[in-house]
Amino acid sequence: MSQPSSPEGLATSSCPAADQVSAGNTMWANIRALLPNTKEDLKLDFSEKVEESVISLLQQARDLLYGAGSLCSGSTRETCLQVSEIIIDYSWEKLNIGTWRDVDKDWRRVYSYGCLFKVLCMCSEQGTIADTIRVCDMGLLMGASILDNILVRIINVLQKHLTCGKRSAEEDTKESCRKKIRNDHTTVPSIKSKEVIPRVHCPSLEHFRDNYLIPQKPVILEGIVDHWPCMKKWSLDYLRQIAGCRTVPVEVGSRYTDEEWSQTLMIVNDFIDQYIVNKNSIGYLAQHQLFDQIPELKQDICIPDYCSLGEGEEDNITINAWFGPEGTISPLHQDPQQNFLVQVIGRKYIRLYSPQESENLYQHETQILHNTSQVDVEDPDLVKFPKFERAAFQACILTPGQVLFIPVKYWHYVRSLDVSFSVSFWWL
Amino acid sequence: MAEPGPQRGWFVFGFRGFAEPRGGGARRVEPEPGGIRLVRPAWSYTGLVTGRGRLALRGWLAGALPGHCQDLLPSESHVLLLRGAALEAWARGAGLCGGPAWRRRLHPGEAARPLPLAPGGYVTPRPPFLCPLPPALRARKLVLGHEHAALLCPAGTVYTWGCGRHGQLGHGGLEPVLEPRLVEALHGVPMADVAAGGWHSVSVSEGGDLYVWGWNESGQLALPSKALWPGSVLMATCLSQGCSQAALGAEAVDFISIQAFPALLDLPEGSEVSKVSCGSRHTAAVTRTGELYTWGWGKYGQLGHNEPASSDHPRQVGYFPANGLTVEDVVCGPWNTYVCAVEK
Repeated sequence: MSQPSSPEGLATSSCPAADQVSAGNTMWANIRALLPNTKEDLKLDFSEKVEESVISLLQQARDLLYGAGSLCSGSTRETCLQVSEIIIDYSWEKLNIGTWRDVDKDWRRVYSYGCLFKVLCMCSEQGTIADTIRVCDMGLLMGASILDNILVRIINVLQKHLTCGKRSAEEDTKESCRKKIRNDHTTVPSIKSKEVIPRVHCPSLEHFRDNYLIPQKPVILEGIVDHWPCMKKWSLDYLRQIAGCRTVPVEVGSRYTDEEWSQTLMIVNDFIDQYIVNKNSIGYLAQHQLFDQIPELKQDICIPDYCSLGEGEEDNITINAWFGPEGTISPLHQDPQQNFLVQVIGRKYIRLYSPQESENLYQHETQILHNTSQVDVEDPDLVKFPKFERAAFQACILTPGQVLFIPVKYWHYVRSLDVSFSVSFWWL
Repeated sequence: MAEPGPQRGWFVFGFRGFAEPRGGGARRVEPEPGGIRLVRPAWSYTGLVTGRGRLALRGWLAGALPGHCQDLLPSESHVLLLRGAALEAWARGAGLCGGPAWRRRLHPGEAARPLPLAPGGYVTPRPPFLCPLPPALRARKLVLGHEHAALLCPAGTVYTWGCGRHGQLGHGGLEPVLEPRLVEALHGVPMADVAAGGWHSVSVSEGGDLYVWGWNESGQLALPSKALWPGSVLMATCLSQGCSQAALGAEAVDFISIQAFPALLDLPEGSEVSKVSCGSRHTAAVTRTGELYTWGWGKYGQLGHNEPASSDHPRQVGYFPANGLTVEDVVCGPWNTYVCAVEK
């Protein structure tokens, strides 16, 4: 299947159209510069799990890319695009066999390579930049990192040539955003004094360790994120500007235990239009590692110093974004890691039940929802779940700048009271 | 399987391996000396067994073995053969050179059965190749999905097991089932045929009714599939034009992503089904009057409509009546469809 590669390689091959000085050609040149210099440097090493027929397709796409004229001829580009599609479709099927965590990482890499080759065909053809970014994002969301995270680097180049993010930024002024974010007619649950979660201002590492981490007691930390850039910078406007054209997973339906609940993919601009600005139904950008996908946003947050008290490496800390309208609900559930929940925008009502209360919480019996309680916390069916009434809990309304420490396995229920953006750090 | 005659032939549409461009309509399969007795497509190649027992592989893996081949189960990693009086697994990468990587002789008295059925159980394209079945379970036919299996008993009952995350087991839940379990929803309706797609299952009753269950991601169950309706476009248009929510609601269709119980599927004009086969994400059915209907994923032309569109409802393939052909049999590969047809 392999075809002879051009001796001059990628760096010097040039399209006839490259003589024209245009933004498109500059972009293509900048993207080509991200690729390895020669075909041999773009190694396609995979485990035996990846079948030879697929490897031969990957090689074919690579050979077309590095062949004479690169992807400048229409027929070469068309062939390369078809091969890329086959790679994407075939590996997509592999990604859907077995549970996500069992999918071999090499199949995720194959998927990313398929996206990479497709993206290169789209770039060389000067397809729409927004569509090209979407393909990159599919590679980032479903694939695995390849070639030193080349898909992130390609998006960086593409975004410099993108103008669509500005459209919405002009529409909403900062003031109107603020108005929309704050919701004044929601009834805020009252919290009894015995239920209040203690608050502490900038405790020392030792103080936090001895009084909260070791005894596994929830606490609200104040004053520790005030200096994070996100506290001042983040707004709907800013998110549109940085991430408007980026594809993200969205949970549709008010809670994940509902029958009608589903997950979908959409770009951030559409998410904001459909679920934040208009409120026809509930959509929640939940539990997504947005900061790996968009490193620019990661610069606006830090990792809390207290995470260093854990035994895990910093690389093993999972950072998730939780962005949604008023009324998103995370049903009562527990997670296997310590959690710092940082509130950046809006307020959230949160209830916590200690793991010792588990027998009163009626967890689902199915394997998939085993970490989740069947009880609707704010409207419990006490006939069906009589023991729930005796379960002791703590509660709080988490406001911007506060950080809630949720110990391992602590049951938590979360409902947003406003348009809300939280960042969670899972660590051990 | 029909005996090949002079006016009978095999046709293929859909994915044809990667040497050839995508698309185009139906194409006649090059005949083999002695006729084509069996067509068994894998993803990147297709295995044919001729009337003389010769095995021919076409596509990305080309090769042939002389006589005594009765059946094959091809995959991207191994080719399983029922050859002579033995089951064999040949490593796919080596082509058909060097001999089988695994072999099990059939003992005297062990009847050769259509693959993947095998003495005491069934074969799969991965080591250890032979999986046992409970001895009490008598099997007429067994089919394999990407991660589930379905079995038809002589009495017409259907058993399924394996992964159930997409509803492909038909027991109503999404939990895995380790041992063959009776599909109770079909109880009392004897089945004549069963087929398994990647993540869906189909059965045909003795009366010619079609039942479907599993994943409807591309419309492979012929139920309304969200992926086939540009819902997000509709929504965005409505929002920008200021449609009311009521207007949106009126447009809304009840999409089905997962069908965890068998659902009865009516073909147009109440046609009765004689044969059914599933690709990875599409389905094809032959009626008793010799028409072919297809639905599901169509990106590679596997639905035979001369276009790469998917369909979430059964559509008749016009090629065969247009060419004076009656369809007798259909065998879906993962991304393509092989059809045996005869001149009227």
